[in-house]
Amino acid sequence: MKVTIVMRGTLRKAFGAEERIVEVPEGCTVDEALQVIGINYREVRNFGFVSVNNMRVMITDPVNEGDYIKAFSKVSGG
Amino acid sequence: MKDKSRYSRNIGILKESDQDLLSKKSVCVIGCGGLGGGVIENLVRIGVGKLTVVDCDTFDVTNLNRQVLSNETNIGKSKALEAADQMKLINSNVEITPIQVELTEENCRQIIAGHDLVIDAVDNIKTRFILEAACEKEKVTLIHGAIGGWSGQVGVSRPGDKLFQKIYPAHENDASVDTSAGNPSFTAAVVSAIQAAEAIKVLLGKEDALYNKLLMIDLSEHSYEVIEL
Repeated sequence: MKVTIVMRGTLRKAFGAEERIVEVPEGCTVDEALQVIGINYREVRNFGFVSVNNMRVMITDPVNEGDYIKAFSKVSGG
Repeated sequence: MKDKSRYSRNIGILKESDQDLLSKKSVCVIGCGGLGGGVIENLVRIGVGKLTVVDCDTFDVTNLNRQVLSNETNIGKSKALEAADQMKLINSNVEITPIQVELTEENCRQIIAGHDLVIDAVDNIKTRFILEAACEKEKVTLIHGAIGGWSGQVGVSRPGDKLFQKIYPAHENDASVDTSAGNPSFTAAVVSAIQAAEAIKVLLGKEDALYNKLLMIDLSEHSYEVIEL
C-alpha cells in the first residue's frame, strides 16, 4: 500500500522538504513507514511527534492505504 | 468600564460586556522573554484587569533581537520588573504584579493560584511539565506557545488535557532539542499574538479556542496546520 510522508520544522532541513509517496507493507506502523525512507526516529535528536491525516498518533500506531504522515520537530523555545 | 474611549477599537471583536468582563480577569504569564513580552503587551493593551508576570531572569544583549521588553538601557535588569514598569506606561488601569523567581515544583501552585488563566511563555520542556501539572491541580487553563527558528506552535491545555505528554514524548531530555535554528523576532511576535488571541477566547468562554488541537506554524513556507490531539 502507498502512504505519503512529509517532514515539518527543522526535520525538513535534515531529511528534505519534499513529499514522498512510498510503498509500505500492509499493517506497518508509523515507525516502520519512516524507516522505509531511512528515518529512525530514536536517532533523530530533534524528533517531536507525528500526525496521520492531521491527527496526532503514536509512533507505534498502524498506517493505512493513502495515509498522509507528517513528522514534526520539537519546538520548545520561548 | 474606566476610560471607555481607550478600548473603542476593541469593540467589534468584543462587545462592551466582554470588555467589562476582561477588566475583571486575572492572567499569570510565566516567562517575560520573546513570547512573554508579546503576550503581556497584547493583554495589557486589550484591557485584561490583572496580570502577574513571572521571570527569574535579567535581560542580556542576546535578547535584543526579539524580546520586545528589552532595550539597550535595561540590560542586566529584571525582566519581570521591567515588564511591570513598561506596561504601566501603556495602560495604568491594569494591575501588574511582577514576581522575580524561578518557577519550580515547590512554588508553582502558589504562584498560579487564583488566576483565571496561565500563559506558558517559558523556554524549556521541563518547566512546561511542572506548569501543566500545577495548572491541573489548580484547575486553571494554560495557553501553550513555543518557538524555534521559523517554526512555532500554540495550543490550549485545560486541566486533564495533558498536552505536553502528547507533543513532548521524551520530555525528560531537554538536551534533545536542537536550538541551532535560532529565535528570530518575527516568530516570537506571531506566536505570542496567537497566544494572546487564544487567551481572550478562553477568558470570554468562547468555544473555538485550540482545545485538543495544536496549531503548527512554519513561517518559512507559510504553513499553518491545526493538528487534532
